[in-house]
Amino acid sequence: MNPAFDRWAALAFFAVGAAFVYGSLQLSHTAYGSQVGPDVFPMGLGAVLMLLDVRLLVDTFRLRPSGEKDAKGNQAHLRQFGALLLSVVVYIGLLETLGYVLSTFGFLLAGFQIMERGKWLSSVMIAAVFSIGVYGLFVGVLQGTLPGFPTWLTG
Amino acid sequence: MESLEYLMKGFLVAFQWHNLLFAFVGVLIGTAVGVLPGIGPMSGVALLIPVSASLTAGMGPEEAAASSIILLAGIYYGAMYGGSTTSILLNTPGESSSVVTALDGYQMARQGRAGNALAIAAIGSFVAGVVSLIGLVLLAQPLSEMALMFGPAEYFSLMVLGLCAVSGLAGRSMTKALIMTVFGLLLGTIGVDNVSGVARFTFDQPVLYQGLEFLTVAVGLFALGEVFNTVLEGGGENEKAGKVGKVTLSRQDLKQSAAPIARGSLLGFFIGTLPGAGATMASFFSYITEKKWSKQPERFGKGAIEGVAGPESANNAASGGAMIPLLTLGIPGSGTTAILMGALIMYNVQPGPLLFEEHPYVAWGLIASMFIGNVMLLVLNYPLVKVFARIIDTPPKYLIPLIIAISIFGVYAVQVNLFDLIVLVVCGLLGYILARHDYPLAPVVLGLVLGPMIEYNMRRALTASDGDFSIFVEKPISLFFLLAALLWLTVPWLMKARGKRVVINEEA
Repeated sequence: MNPAFDRWAALAFFAVGAAFVYGSLQLSHTAYGSQVGPDVFPMGLGAVLMLLDVRLLVDTFRLRPSGEKDAKGNQAHLRQFGALLLSVVVYIGLLETLGYVLSTFGFLLAGFQIMERGKWLSSVMIAAVFSIGVYGLFVGVLQGTLPGFPTWLTG
Repeated sequence: MESLEYLMKGFLVAFQWHNLLFAFVGVLIGTAVGVLPGIGPMSGVALLIPVSASLTAGMGPEEAAASSIILLAGIYYGAMYGGSTTSILLNTPGESSSVVTALDGYQMARQGRAGNALAIAAIGSFVAGVVSLIGLVLLAQPLSEMALMFGPAEYFSLMVLGLCAVSGLAGRSMTKALIMTVFGLLLGTIGVDNVSGVARFTFDQPVLYQGLEFLTVAVGLFALGEVFNTVLEGGGENEKAGKVGKVTLSRQDLKQSAAPIARGSLLGFFIGTLPGAGATMASFFSYITEKKWSKQPERFGKGAIEGVAGPESANNAASGGAMIPLLTLGIPGSGTTAILMGALIMYNVQPGPLLFEEHPYVAWGLIASMFIGNVMLLVLNYPLVKVFARIIDTPPKYLIPLIIAISIFGVYAVQVNLFDLIVLVVCGLLGYILARHDYPLAPVVLGLVLGPMIEYNMRRALTASDGDFSIFVEKPISLFFLLAALLWLTVPWLMKARGKRVVINEEA
């Protein structure tokens, strides 16, 4: 185990448990026809979570770290991941403005290039086949709902 | 035999051409998912829920539920099988239940007997599938009838037992597993309370009234989490798969494998029915048993075919056995069955003792299709082993962005709102970070799925007892379940404390 991380995680989950207990205190204590209100279950669980976190915290001091290979993703992987995450966020942000086909095509093209530079032709082909194919199948054949093309494009 | 009659009706459902197609597609995709590095059975099933939901959109509710669950179950056992292919060819198990297969399977591949190993894995899986099917048919009815006698207090305690069993055996630290379980249960309380209609923890945001969608959380934690892990840990580089060679079996191979397959199937089935135990433990135990019973234990680890036949049968039988608590009691014993259960609930089909009465079409259709699925798996895998072996070579360059795109499509297609996509990405990040530090993820999903039902039964029981908590220990069956839950937590803990190695389920 990685004690530093576990300590932070214990604190974070402790806060989550406390937040749920606090939130439960604001809820009604009874329900119609029953003495048991909607607050009992989350409050109990919140308290259990807090207890478990204390236990985890104690464990981090008691147990020796088990010489974990601290293979921190090296810088290149971290940059790659950052770029990929950024493109996912941009993709989600543009999904409803640009429509499914355009935003998906853009995201896939960017994603392929982030993973490995080059091979533009096959990247463009796969991205196009996936985005148009999924849209055509889902909206055209299965009658599902996906954002279409932006109005400024279709007029 | 009433069960047999129902089973026949189930076969009529499963033999409808579109259900045959669904089973086929499920098994095919499942095998591919099992073979592909970076997506396991859990993320495979989670990813395909939205796809199956849209495929079945035009059907009536019963048929849609039956067809979807047939497809999803196909993915489940297809993936179980596919995972063994990578174990044998690459020495990198696709999922944890085929870790043991790699011990002897990879050695066989190095001796040029990869074809034999793959073939015996296919045959073993098939036999095991049939054995667990028979068990399911025999046990389903009596178990459901017994469960019908349970009141809310018994149900509450039974579900607590299910959760404790899974937490007690998941991951390296029980504290962490319990934290994750409780965290999942808490996430399940977000939204409008079913009993009183009060909005809880929603901060007056309308998007939260429905609560966190289980599908979004599952796809985020498993599919995206694994993708992020692959990118960050630099799992992007491909390994070349070994040559498959001839896919044949000699009479000697069959003779050596027959008994291990039979033992593995039975052992796997019974371990599979225990909540929390699951396929990984089943394959592990089968391997130990075979080694112990073998006349030449020194052959193990050096390419003994029994070391592939036994565990492979056991892990497949376990995935069939895991269906029993899910279908008859409504208690998923593993992460994947929790996801299957969530899918059933999405279709308004509540797994549990009433399933066989209220939705015989779905229940028996699924059971029959598992049999057909196993036949397909055998037919498909025997000639196609070489094709599947080549899927391993799919460049991650394309694979990873495509998995992300499928996740986003899947969640958006079902939820049609951007909030869920944000939850998806957050869960993906959370899934990566937590899994990397040995916080097991399956209990979160299990908690999220079971949470509302546990609470509902708890409150019903407490309403009946006028708020007196002792009702849970006064009823003998309920007390028994709670004591069993306590044992399930304390025994592994005691064994660990005494320095014994405990077999744990990394993921199932």
